[in-house]
Amino acid sequence: MSQLSRIRNFCIIAHIDHGKTTLSDRLLEATQTVELREMKAQLLDAMDLERERGITIKSHPVTLKYVNDKGEAYIFNLIDTPGHVDFSYEVSRSLAACEGALLLVDAAQGIEAQTVANANLAMALNMEIIPVINKVDLPSADVPKIQGQLEDILALPAEDAIMASAKVGKGIPEILEAIVQRIPKPRWADYGHTRVLIFDCVYDAYKGVICYVRVFSGNIKRGDKVVMMSDGTQTEIKEVGIFSPRQKPQDELFEGCVGYLVTNIKEVADIKIGDTITHAESPAEKMLPGYQEVRPMVYAGIYPIDTSDYEKLKASVAKLRLNDAAFTYASESSVALGFGFRCGFLGLLHMEIVVERIRREYDLDIISTYPSVVYHVIKSDGEKMEVQNPAYLPDPSEIEAIYEPTIKATIHFPSAHMGDVMALLMEKRAMIEDTETLDADRVMMTATMPLNEILIDFNDRLKSITKGYGSFDYDFADYQEASLVKLDILVNSDIVDAFSSIVHRDKAEARGRQLCEKLKDILPRQLFKVAIQAAIGGKVVARETLGAMRKDVTAKCYGGDITRKKKLLEKQKEGKKRMKQIGKVAIPQEAFIDILKTSN
Amino acid sequence: MNLQAKAVHTPPLGLYLHVPFCARACDFCNFYQEAPRRAELDRYLAGIERELQLRPIERPVDTVFWGGGTPSLLAAKDLERLGNAVLGALPQAPEEWTIEMAPSTVKADKLAVLRELGVNRISMGVQSFDPVLLDRLGRSHLPKQVYHAIDLIRAAGFENLNLDLIFAVPGQTLEAWEADLREALRQEPQHLSTYCLTFEEDTALWVKLQKGQTTKLSIEDESDYYTRAWEVLGEAGLPQYEISNFARPGFACRHNLNTWAMHEWLAYGPSASGQFGGRRWTNAANIDQWLEGVESGQMAEQEIVLLTAESMLADALVFGLRMNAGVDLEELQGCFGVPLPSTVAGLFRDLVEEGLMVQEGPRVALTLEGRLLADRIATAILEAL
Ligand SMILES: Nc1nc2c(ncn2[C@@H]2O[C@H](COP(=O)(O)OP(=O)(O)O)[C@@H](O)[C@H]2O)c(=O)[nH]1
Ligand code: SF4
Repeated sequence: MSQLSRIRNFCIIAHIDHGKTTLSDRLLEATQTVELREMKAQLLDAMDLERERGITIKSHPVTLKYVNDKGEAYIFNLIDTPGHVDFSYEVSRSLAACEGALLLVDAAQGIEAQTVANANLAMALNMEIIPVINKVDLPSADVPKIQGQLEDILALPAEDAIMASAKVGKGIPEILEAIVQRIPKPRWADYGHTRVLIFDCVYDAYKGVICYVRVFSGNIKRGDKVVMMSDGTQTEIKEVGIFSPRQKPQDELFEGCVGYLVTNIKEVADIKIGDTITHAESPAEKMLPGYQEVRPMVYAGIYPIDTSDYEKLKASVAKLRLNDAAFTYASESSVALGFGFRCGFLGLLHMEIVVERIRREYDLDIISTYPSVVYHVIKSDGEKMEVQNPAYLPDPSEIEAIYEPTIKATIHFPSAHMGDVMALLMEKRAMIEDTETLDADRVMMTATMPLNEILIDFNDRLKSITKGYGSFDYDFADYQEASLVKLDILVNSDIVDAFSSIVHRDKAEARGRQLCEKLKDILPRQLFKVAIQAAIGGKVVARETLGAMRKDVTAKCYGGDITRKKKLLEKQKEGKKRMKQIGKVAIPQEAFIDILKTSN
Repeated sequence: MNLQAKAVHTPPLGLYLHVPFCARACDFCNFYQEAPRRAELDRYLAGIERELQLRPIERPVDTVFWGGGTPSLLAAKDLERLGNAVLGALPQAPEEWTIEMAPSTVKADKLAVLRELGVNRISMGVQSFDPVLLDRLGRSHLPKQVYHAIDLIRAAGFENLNLDLIFAVPGQTLEAWEADLREALRQEPQHLSTYCLTFEEDTALWVKLQKGQTTKLSIEDESDYYTRAWEVLGEAGLPQYEISNFARPGFACRHNLNTWAMHEWLAYGPSASGQFGGRRWTNAANIDQWLEGVESGQMAEQEIVLLTAESMLADALVFGLRMNAGVDLEELQGCFGVPLPSTVAGLFRDLVEEGLMVQEGPRVALTLEGRLLADRIATAILEAL
């Protein structure tokens, strides 16, 4: 269709705070996209957590109409992409829906690791990249330096970069024109059959699952019988539409379009991001490239503080799963915590978000256990097993070998902090593979390291030793054999399985000592003194004693004052109900959270 | 109300009467109190007379306790009217009859009336002998009024005197507390009660704390004040018999002992709490509401709790363990007719092991360390049930 040459699909790649939101606003204004205010309100409402953390979890596509000087009208589809490594597969699918990307770099801050990772991803997808140097209005802007970085790190010609200030509106016409001139028209439109990419989906209580899609070839309309190519599921299209910016039903979606569709499928879990939809009657032979099955990388137990909240928790995780296919759960039980769920997450941020949502949206007091990656264990008898809960790690005598997942990390930081970053990497068992000088004062390091080592605090530590200037990104790499042991924490001789973790043998003792010290700080004093121990395979390697509390009495009990006094005591008792009783020891909910933050 | 006691063997019976008037509110106090206006006083006295008729007393009362508020704020003739109303309702005179008095209100004519009525125990709210601390507490008396009051009380022939002291007042050093204790001992009272200052919501002191105008001692520091009193008074012949109470042998307050043993006591006057016939209740803490109830015959009772054998046993343990003598487990089980839950027995074993409790035969009692944790231990008992 001749329409095609008038469509451009693009996204914006940027590090947090480099100005993506501001630039998007400018583009919306410049194209006089109607309902602007309305959309903003809607987007802002979308998710508190996204806003608080300054990250995008879901994509928010929007269609803009641009008319150039010659009076030619274009349709721009801007796809806002998720911005965190946990969601890198989702990012890659959003990128795959586009032919081009604006690469936005803060003129004062320079290129960050995540930007490089996403830019590389975009290049691997053969996308056209338009570098935009933003915030050139700032006195601290250093344009030549950024141009140097673009050339050195990403091999992008510096003269192609557009100078912009999203804040004052500088460079906006140039950007719009570059989108028309430099980003190719929608690709792969001449494929003989209909192929539609699902790049995201959300759950809607009325419509069921709403898929965000990009039509590559052919067309799709209401009533079409279609096939999900990943697993052959057949379904029927109930509705198609575009984002203008609100969902607006259309008769049909054509090749090159970005929009949404609703099928008969009712559960998000049954929709696979990255899947290709084709017509049942004349199906495509090959899926669009890049589809992968998403698998949780991090597991943790989630338990209600109050065991009677189990059913409520069950309903909550089921509801969350409706809108988050990457989140998995299965029931499990813990000696210390009773009945709960083993949950799988894409990464630690994803875990934090889910845990926070259960607390806030479902008003439940919950505990999450120490997160774990998935270990591959080969037992002495040759049996292979996957372990994602330290409690199920077999006895050391039955283990032949343990393999752990690794990542390929890319770290950007000011060269002045080289020593500290190297020390951190050593501590985290990283194998440094390459160190590259980006410019006079920044370096980029690549290293292979265990995923387990970045679970808890790697990013925070990196940020703190580099005064906030370091950034990091990673790709999952292969499994590698490692000398790992299970570290247990005992409170008054009872193993608190929620505190168990799998750690490297060389670090186990130090880690054990640290956890004991931390617990001693966190736990409130009890009626009795409490022994806190760390043990590896039954052998105690560290020990702390929490002294008993000294005073808890009120010398005030007038005759007939029984009722008053009882009220106070009952109140104390209620307060203790919010704690988890392990043997004789009451452990407050915060302890389970704080212990996760214990750094190595 | 059914005044027939349900208990198989009749336990001792007490009578608590609340006089809700105070000259002015002390800064630390959140007790229910009214300004002593004549019309109010008259309505109150008439109300008590009516209430005594509405709740007839069919069994000898062992102890009477007039608390407040400030009962001694009443004029001699009002005390007489109140006393006669009580005596008229009793089958026979009580063995112990206590009245709370504020130092500035102690007068010879009042004391004479009280003696005449049969009051035999006086409890005086001294709080401190330090004028600076008294001022800080918003008390309206001076140390010299305390000495004068004690002289009058002795002169009137009273031989059972309690002094209330308060400690852990902002600015009070440990030495100052000991000085207060020693000054109190010099007055040779038969009984001393020591209260740790607490910051009760909505009191003037609490407001000051919220505004950062005063400070609160740390828990560790407070415990030093407790133990200092226990040492000093013990050595001086007034051993501790309950967390806050010290007495010469034979002078423990029987009325309070009965309450802590979960016996029965009746309650008269607004905000008074009673426990009788398997029920615990508190009268409305508002003179109008209380009077309305009394006048209509529909008593304004609040926070009514129906007592079970199990809850009585629990409370007898909670309050009994605050006493140095502790409790006799066999006696309690016999008295309430329920066995001690094994969880509580287990808790006691742990407490003994930790040195917080001692057991001798059927009797268990808290050690000094245990008494410092009495509230926490009480919570543990309630949890174990
Ligand atoms: N001086 C200046 N500030 C800008 C510019 N663009 C964005 N900002 C500011 O940078 C901050 C982050 O911008 P935002 O668009 O929220 O970044 P995002 O996190 O990438 O979406 C905000 O305080 C913006 O006002 C610009 O061109 N110049
Ligand atoms: S402490 Fe006693 S005198 Fe002071 S206000 Fe309270 S009840 Fe009245």
